[in-house]
Amino acid sequence: MSNKGKGPAIQKNAAGENKRPLLVSLHYYRGFYVMFLPVLIFAVVFNYLPMLGIRYAFCTYKGIKAPEFIGLGNFEKMISMPGFWTAFGNTLVISIVKLLLNTFMAVLLSLLLNELRSMKFKKFAQTVVYLPHFMSWVVTASVFTLILSPTNAGLVNSILIKLGIIDEGIYFLGSQDWWRPMYYMVNVWKDTGWGTIIFMATLSGISPELYEAASMDGAGRWNCMRYITLPALANTIITVLILNLAKIMNLFESVFVMQNDAVIKQSDVLQTYIYTQTFNSGALPDYGYTTAVGLASSIVGCILVLVCNKASFKVRGRGIV
Amino acid sequence: MKVKKMLAAGMAVTMAATLGLTGCSGGGDTADSGDTANTAAEGGDTAAASEDGIEKPEKITIMVDGTVFTQVNARDKFEARWEELTGIDLEIIQPDHDAYYDVVGQTFASGPENWPDAMILSSSYYSGYAEEGALWDMTAAWDNSELKASGRVTGEDVIENMKINGQLFGFPVTRGNGCVTYVKKAWLDNCGLEAPTNYDEYLAMLEAFTTGDPDGNGVDGDTYGVSAAGIIAVEAPYTNYLPEFYQDAYPSFVQGEDGVWYDGFTQDNFRDALTRLREAYAAGYIDKESLTNGTNDCRNKFYEDKFGVFTYWAGTWNTNLKTNLEANGRDGELVALPPIAELGAYTERNSPVWCITASCENPEGVFKYLIESMLDGGDMQTLWSYGVEDVHWSTKAETVCGNTYAEGEFHMKESLEKPGTQYTKAHIDPMLSIVTWENDPGINAVPEESKNSQQIFNDNCVQAQLIPSTEEMATYNGDLTTLKNSIIADVVVQGISLDEAYARFESEGGAEWSQMIVDSLNAME
Amino acid sequence: MKTKKATAFDYVLVLIFVLICFIMIIPIYKVLIDSLDLKTAYGMKLLPEQFGLAGYESVFTNPTLYRPFLVSCLTTVAGTFCGLAISTLGAYVLIQWNMPGRNFFANLLLFTMIFNGGMIPTYLVMRSLHLTNTLWVVILLPAINVYNLVLMRNFFEGIPGSLFESAEMDGCSPMRIFFQIVLPLSKAALTAIGLMFAVSYWNDYTNYKLYITNENLYNFQMKLRSVIMGSDLPTAVGGATENTVKNAAVIVAILPFMIIYPFCQQYFIQGVNIGAVKE
Repeated sequence: MSNKGKGPAIQKNAAGENKRPLLVSLHYYRGFYVMFLPVLIFAVVFNYLPMLGIRYAFCTYKGIKAPEFIGLGNFEKMISMPGFWTAFGNTLVISIVKLLLNTFMAVLLSLLLNELRSMKFKKFAQTVVYLPHFMSWVVTASVFTLILSPTNAGLVNSILIKLGIIDEGIYFLGSQDWWRPMYYMVNVWKDTGWGTIIFMATLSGISPELYEAASMDGAGRWNCMRYITLPALANTIITVLILNLAKIMNLFESVFVMQNDAVIKQSDVLQTYIYTQTFNSGALPDYGYTTAVGLASSIVGCILVLVCNKASFKVRGRGIV
Repeated sequence: MKVKKMLAAGMAVTMAATLGLTGCSGGGDTADSGDTANTAAEGGDTAAASEDGIEKPEKITIMVDGTVFTQVNARDKFEARWEELTGIDLEIIQPDHDAYYDVVGQTFASGPENWPDAMILSSSYYSGYAEEGALWDMTAAWDNSELKASGRVTGEDVIENMKINGQLFGFPVTRGNGCVTYVKKAWLDNCGLEAPTNYDEYLAMLEAFTTGDPDGNGVDGDTYGVSAAGIIAVEAPYTNYLPEFYQDAYPSFVQGEDGVWYDGFTQDNFRDALTRLREAYAAGYIDKESLTNGTNDCRNKFYEDKFGVFTYWAGTWNTNLKTNLEANGRDGELVALPPIAELGAYTERNSPVWCITASCENPEGVFKYLIESMLDGGDMQTLWSYGVEDVHWSTKAETVCGNTYAEGEFHMKESLEKPGTQYTKAHIDPMLSIVTWENDPGINAVPEESKNSQQIFNDNCVQAQLIPSTEEMATYNGDLTTLKNSIIADVVVQGISLDEAYARFESEGGAEWSQMIVDSLNAME
Repeated sequence: MKTKKATAFDYVLVLIFVLICFIMIIPIYKVLIDSLDLKTAYGMKLLPEQFGLAGYESVFTNPTLYRPFLVSCLTTVAGTFCGLAISTLGAYVLIQWNMPGRNFFANLLLFTMIFNGGMIPTYLVMRSLHLTNTLWVVILLPAINVYNLVLMRNFFEGIPGSLFESAEMDGCSPMRIFFQIVLPLSKAALTAIGLMFAVSYWNDYTNYKLYITNENLYNFQMKLRSVIMGSDLPTAVGGATENTVKNAAVIVAILPFMIIYPFCQQYFIQGVNIGAVKE
């Protein structure tokens, strides 16, 4: 692994210290700077220019009158809202559990797919598991509301009753104990398949010779999976996990379409909380306030990413970017 | 540490770069707006003033949602016809229906030089933008209008209701409409019942529908009485899906006859309403899945004969429900109930309004030529109510979607966007019009049942109050509403006792927030 | 490996996958059956009560869907190309560990993934660049996707360094190495990331909603959405109830993927044999 991805023919030591003078280096890499130019332009135009709007986080701004500077007022308002901390805690718990569960399931599914012998069946299975990704959340929610229905129209309850496990239908989505497990389940259903795409691509990069050599050494399938496949995936798994951490505070649509009045305490996440706040306030949306919420979410995401990146650095000697 | 330094440096550089760039584009913008100002001035010189001193605008720019003909539904023809009738250049900006208020917000934020002359706003945005000073006060224009003087206006209460502190910033060209309770006629007959007129009869009907065999399939108890999308609706008027249970109780803020505001949730009649709901839910009269139902789920269950009583939009929807029931092989005849005695009246939603922006150069002209003319009782009202002749409607002898019409018989044409269906209306639903219209060409084209249910609603409704926003309201009403809704769900679905529920309302701060909001509302006057 | 005999494990595995496929399909099957049933059903059914294709007929014969379909094809192809270009270029530069400023660039990009300016500022920038109400905004705006870029970099890292070294010995320019070594060796990655881009372009409606008010520029997804969401679909459509049409639209939204995907699949299965050049 030591020689991978290093700048061509310059590095002389494992630490990757660059021994060349800066100017020589700049000249040497001139082609790369040119290649990076389009990326830079895109980042500046589509990300950094709009980011000037972050200043609204310190203003009250409804789009009509000029933004009025209020310092940290928006943040104070946010954390003083009665339901804020519940929603904040829910967001962290729900999205981290969801992230870990979905990634775990996706890795598991990829490993199993990789073990399938029949190419035809593998192709078929792969196509099928991707399908749920193409259903919008609204449609998904309405179909699962039916499948989890407490009446005899509900598939899950009907099966459980037939098997004699329960006597009476459970109102899964209206129950404070059942809502979260059901939410995770629906997420696993919808995202696991699509999640495998990146792992499958990684797996296809493993040389078949490695497996052949291993099996010649008498390694069974379990050992092949453990010592060849999993390590090959490790890098991707960690990258995917850390990248997704940046977004965990943005959880909205999937919760919004599945929550209801009875399970608000279990289900309300930051974005849905802010949404109902704005909706019921009877006032215009304050962009300063929503920007402040967005900024706070970003900072939490940023901290998580930096911490995990650091951990990854400690353990593996490198971060994700 | 290194990362941080890098980040900081990176931010500084890019910020500097971007500032420069925005500076440039800002310059471009001012140049643009200068141009428009020039053209507008030229326009002013040439525009002819009419006899009442109101100048006719050269051009009107409007922003509308999906309730006006969309591009695929021949909006260009609509626009051309409008221009032909007025001689004014019309520019229509029509964002996607779902994102309408996002785009409205963006447009407002992009500066007054980019604001349209007039736009459609829903009642909650209407009051918000009015408070921000973005809308033109049209009180005088309305008071001095020919329309008001004509005496044709039947919905003055609807207009009065939209006033904020006595000032009118938006004009409702139609009523807001609301929900009326439909009962399947065949089910009543099967159970040998008459349409209920009071709560006891209503409850008896639900019982018969739940325990008996109203659909006549030979199985008792495989149906239930009523279903709703949520025990309480998310938008005002919150009680509109189960009005017979709520009756005179209201979960939000109400201004009493004496002008004093109070929170309906804390009143005794709300406890009674919760008791009624809980008993009916426990008895199985109300759909067990009401919490998780979407309106679409309710409609599908209704079409499938799962239940027999459905409170839903009056008017056109009566026909929609009927057609879908019949397509499903069921009896489509529905009885639209007048409100039961205890309910007294249905609640009418606040209508969306036409507003003129504060940056409009000739607001009187826009009011007269755009808004007032929509209700002129002539060609223009026909245009806004039915669309363009031979594009959206026609009186020629022809067959449209399987219906044959004689020469001279008014009918709507086939939809361009959804072939196989006929247009039902344009922007103004004629049944919801706030003026009398003697020469309404389409009066006979509206299906009987739609007209009937609309009439029952219009005759038996009260206007939902426009609740002003206060600082306390903005701060606490989100949490308060969430708490109230969660308590309602607890009581009705989980069967928590009322005392326990109201104790929760106290302990979780609801009572305190409620009082603060009430005080702030009462302090306004 | 192919010559080996199937073990009990293989049979169990197939059984597991049959079960997984079953679970994955049931909810979609419900939508499919409803789309073929002329009657409106709330509950689950094994087969349609009254079979009919009227739902699909009214979706496919809808003349207003052709143009949006073309718009979707155009933006998906153009957008996927732009997205891949930006991602691969960025990723290629990010694996130059010794390039001065490399870490700065990496953090610059990572920063954009975490922080954003919000709806209004983005709109104002797009507006001042005169991108609103053009297809450019829906093609270019999502093209810079740091998530995909970092994943791409992750794949590029797997390319043996010796290849770069020998190429450089032969005097290849960075650009040439990029086109002749990096890209050809990354087919699986290009397919995977390309697919992710394509699907997000195809399914995009947020950007259309916010930046485009000209209906002529709407894409397929926007139109299907209005069919699926449209709460006042007027009346029964040629024998199909509103529910049938909605469900048909959901299925139609899945179709393009089912048609395209099998063509992409070979790149996943075959993989890239870079072992041959491994030292």
